[in-house]
Amino acid sequence: MMNGGGGGGQKKRAPRIEPFRHRVETDPKFFDKSWRKLHDAIREIYNHNASGLSFEELYRTAYNMVLNKFAPQLYEKLTENMKEHLEDMRTCIDAAQGGLFLEELQRKWNDHNKALTMIRDILMYMDRTYIPTNKKTPVFDHGLELWRDTIVRSPTIQGRLSDTLLELIHSERTGEVINRGLMRTTTKMLMDLGLSVYQDDFERPFLEVSASFYSGESQQFIECCACGEYLKQAERRLSEESERVSQYLDVKTHEKITAVVVNEMLANHMQRLILMENSGLVNMLVEDRYEDLTRMYTLFNHVPDGLTTIRSVMASHIKDTGKSLVTDPERLKDPVDFVQRLLNMKDKYDNIINVSFSNDKSFLNALNSSFEHFINLNNRSPEFISLFVDDKLRKGVKEANEEDLETVLDKVMMLFRYLQEKDLFEKYYKQHLAKRLLSGRAASDDSERSMLVKLKTECGYQFTSKLEGMFTDLKTSEDTTQGFYASTSSELLADAPTISVQILTTGSWPTQTCNTCNLPPEIVSVSEKFRAYYLGTHNGRRLTWQTNMGHADIKATFGNGSKHELNVSTYQMCVLMLFNSSDVLTYREIEQSTAIPAADLKRCLQSLALVKGKQVLRKEPMSRDIADDDSFFVNDKFTSKLFKVKIGTVAAQKETDPEKLETRQRVEEDRKPQIEAAIVRIMKSRRVLDHNSIMMEVTKQLQPRFMPNPVVIKKRIESLIEREFLERDKTDRKMYRYLA
Amino acid sequence: MCTPAAGRGRVRLNVGGRVFETTTATLASAGRDTMLGAMLDASWNASHDDAACGGGGSAAAEYFIDRDPACFAVLLDLLRTGGLHVPRGVPEATLYREALYYGLLDRVRAARLGDFDGDRLRLAASVPGCAPGDGTAVRAAPDGGCCVAHGGAVRVYNWMLEERRPVYYPGHAPVNDAAYLDAATLLVAARERPGRLGDDGGVAAFSALTGGLRHRFRVAHDRQPRSFTAGALTFDDGGCSFFASCKGRFNEYGIGVWDANTGEQADFFYEPPGCALGDADRLQWLDGTGTLMVATMFPRTDSSFISLLDFRDKSVVWSWSDVGTPASLEDKHAVHAVVMEDGRSVCVINQYDDLGFLDLRSSAGGVRWRSRSKLATSGKTKALVSEEVCYPKLATYGGQLFASTGDTVSVFSGPDHVLTSTLRGGQGGAICDFSIGGDRLFALHSEENVFDVWETPPPAII
Repeated sequence: MMNGGGGGGQKKRAPRIEPFRHRVETDPKFFDKSWRKLHDAIREIYNHNASGLSFEELYRTAYNMVLNKFAPQLYEKLTENMKEHLEDMRTCIDAAQGGLFLEELQRKWNDHNKALTMIRDILMYMDRTYIPTNKKTPVFDHGLELWRDTIVRSPTIQGRLSDTLLELIHSERTGEVINRGLMRTTTKMLMDLGLSVYQDDFERPFLEVSASFYSGESQQFIECCACGEYLKQAERRLSEESERVSQYLDVKTHEKITAVVVNEMLANHMQRLILMENSGLVNMLVEDRYEDLTRMYTLFNHVPDGLTTIRSVMASHIKDTGKSLVTDPERLKDPVDFVQRLLNMKDKYDNIINVSFSNDKSFLNALNSSFEHFINLNNRSPEFISLFVDDKLRKGVKEANEEDLETVLDKVMMLFRYLQEKDLFEKYYKQHLAKRLLSGRAASDDSERSMLVKLKTECGYQFTSKLEGMFTDLKTSEDTTQGFYASTSSELLADAPTISVQILTTGSWPTQTCNTCNLPPEIVSVSEKFRAYYLGTHNGRRLTWQTNMGHADIKATFGNGSKHELNVSTYQMCVLMLFNSSDVLTYREIEQSTAIPAADLKRCLQSLALVKGKQVLRKEPMSRDIADDDSFFVNDKFTSKLFKVKIGTVAAQKETDPEKLETRQRVEEDRKPQIEAAIVRIMKSRRVLDHNSIMMEVTKQLQPRFMPNPVVIKKRIESLIEREFLERDKTDRKMYRYLA
Repeated sequence: MCTPAAGRGRVRLNVGGRVFETTTATLASAGRDTMLGAMLDASWNASHDDAACGGGGSAAAEYFIDRDPACFAVLLDLLRTGGLHVPRGVPEATLYREALYYGLLDRVRAARLGDFDGDRLRLAASVPGCAPGDGTAVRAAPDGGCCVAHGGAVRVYNWMLEERRPVYYPGHAPVNDAAYLDAATLLVAARERPGRLGDDGGVAAFSALTGGLRHRFRVAHDRQPRSFTAGALTFDDGGCSFFASCKGRFNEYGIGVWDANTGEQADFFYEPPGCALGDADRLQWLDGTGTLMVATMFPRTDSSFISLLDFRDKSVVWSWSDVGTPASLEDKHAVHAVVMEDGRSVCVINQYDDLGFLDLRSSAGGVRWRSRSKLATSGKTKALVSEEVCYPKLATYGGQLFASTGDTVSVFSGPDHVLTSTLRGGQGGAICDFSIGGDRLFALHSEENVFDVWETPPPAII
């Protein structure tokens, strides 16, 4: 067949002889002629030879075809024609070898796009009129669909395309450099063809291949890498994939590929990684490896349950180390060190959570509950914490400035918060505070008061009212002593020792069994005068002397002529004063004349005779233990570089076992009325309540102070029933009724 | 040598023998997706200069366009100034046809229809209809077209007021209401006729372009699909779902809700006792509160009933009724209602053209009729009321209140609703319905099936 150009209609018709006739209204060849024109133009466009074409003419031709209702045929012909061109392109792409495949595909895609734009221009009128009223695909989109069906999804190209892309990505993952520009334009093409094409033809296989790649790689790494190393690798892979997405994949893929990497590299190995021996989470915690911990936190943040696992492993590690710390008998020997260690541990984990776990609230909660758990494992924790505070607040021990002290106290308050038996702490704190105040060793009133304020804000007014009472007592005592000296004429007191009396309100201070000793006569006379003065100014009071808590400064002249001022306790003073009248005294004689309790007396004699450098007395024989027949002399050879000599008491700071037992008993006793009060309070408002609810409410009410023992609560209920505050319901034995 | 003298960006166009000279920028302002934009695009001018020089040898690039020059002059003027000025000699139909050729029809439409202002409306056209009976409703399309429902057909007009293929409800069921989902989709509510098979009446979506049926919306009660009569239609604010008052055969009265995207029934508000919902002749969605106003008015029912429905908890949050007042034609009855744009009150109108207001914030208190509400024309038309049953209708738009009374549409403005304009068309008698949308007001007359089109001309420049 001859193939004429656009205008060669006459020649083509030549072989067929037709009768000449006038043009009828519509040219029967109109469609064919017009289409031929467009057909040729499209061919030229695909051949990059569009310069000779007149847009106006082509547009008008297409317009006329639509106007003459040839739009359906035109659309059909166009589809056919584009398909033919695309078939040709496919042959070219198929022929491209190896690495040239993508480039050829890209080139043809660009050609098609350009041609499609021009074809759409020509057929614009059809796009505006015929397409919307007949629900057809617009020309441009139709061209893309044809490209998709003829090229991208043709059996020869579809598999090859995705294989090529995945292969390139694989080689990039293994460290080779690939042509990212080409990758980008190719995936862009897939996206232009519609999201489903990108997803079905590329994204899904890509995710599958990635999953198997990372599954293999993670298996390999986990066998030979430490946890930290492994996490670094995972982090690197994640950022690589992010970069890959930003470079040449669709944004929406980011989430999916991240999920794949996280799943394969982290979630599947989570337990093993976190618990890895010698390098897992525990090791990182122990060694304060902030960087690794941060990495672990951020990575496992993507994994479901990841943070929960980390948190629980951390919590159980804290509990374990805490438990071994608080139950280590070595540690019990030094309460101050014990608490200091707790504080250090708290600091350490606070730091870790702050630096590495982005101050995650749930981690802080885990830390707190772990501390709460193990601190209460040791029932001496309240005592130790109080001792620690005592140590910090005692005069002269530390040169620390007030600000440091404040921060230490704040930290101690954290520990205090963990305590379940806050009432026990209160008991000890009271004791220690009393000692500090009475021996005049409180370092600073401000610090003491600030600690009180802290306790008050933590536990309320009730908790500290007695402690505050102690401070008031001291203040009024000072005034009273001054008043005493002002009111009593100096002749009466001439030569008598100066006394300073501290009047302690009963109840505010830790009660101690008071064993009044026999005071030396000089003291007795002046103290009797004071008693007369005090009872004279205050009606209806009773004064008892707590000789076990006082102290005295006495001047001593030794046989060798040296003069010293001795700072001693009241008991020690009593002993020493005896030597004013005799040179040698046996233990028994001393005991008889002073009436000091044996244990205290022994301790005070030990401190006078056996402490090196401060041997005011000599003992015969020179043994540590004191027997009844041992005799004591004044040590005439006593020397000291200092004029003022402070004689300590050999006193256990920490409570001895029997003392401990006693304190505990006292605390238990104190709790009884509190529990009863709580029960009555609750029953008064509820009138009728079942057993379990009472238990719950009582526990809830008392929790801020201590954890009441259910058995004790039960006993208290029974006691209240006996005393007819409550009664059991007659029908339901589990119900209690309030009687009023 | 070619074109240096022509200057950069100058273009010569020979349109049907008349030469126009303009700039590429002017032509490009039409957009790449227009004929002129494509013609000047680089892909079609790869080596244009050579071709032009070789062919004509003229100094400037010249394009030939085989079209009518007079219309092109108008369109070029539109591209240059943004304004549309049609000289006497150019028929509108021809201009529109040419605009469609160049792909500039949207530009012409935008220039043609100024921003709607109730006080500056001019009668643009009166379109005679050819319906056999009285029109039921006229509805404005978002693009300036409209449709007129009457009997079993809905006649659809594009914005150039050319009639498209009419929409017929399947089985030619009588149409009660119509609403544009968008410019290309029309919802139609139709009446179920007694004695027919189950598949009659209801709501269906049609293509406004071709008249073809797109989708029929179903109602199911207890999972059983049922046929029903659909009364009034309305959309929620997002246009995601629409509502229709429904009357089923088995007393399943209420308001149906459908998802406009999926076409599935989304909800159904069954008529509680004492509320007339299924017969409602007006629905209106309140954006602010997320409630639906349902108004069932005299004379469809013996007394008027208005309520606000909350679909979230299926409750009637507000209602009003004039039940109890003696029902005779001489008494004042609210015959139409519209929720004011602030969502605080409902405006009602009675058969004597009195305006009244109901406070939506309190459930007590009746209609506050306006004391001086006699409209300009009421004195004359009162006599006609008895013989001619065109009850007044209401609408709000852009802060103004519109009321059709007799052959006039009155426009009220401001917070006190002062009468500011009256629109009276040519012939056709009383107005039985009107609708505002697409920057136009359409008023349908009861006689002769004429509808008037009111437009806002561009404001004076200085």
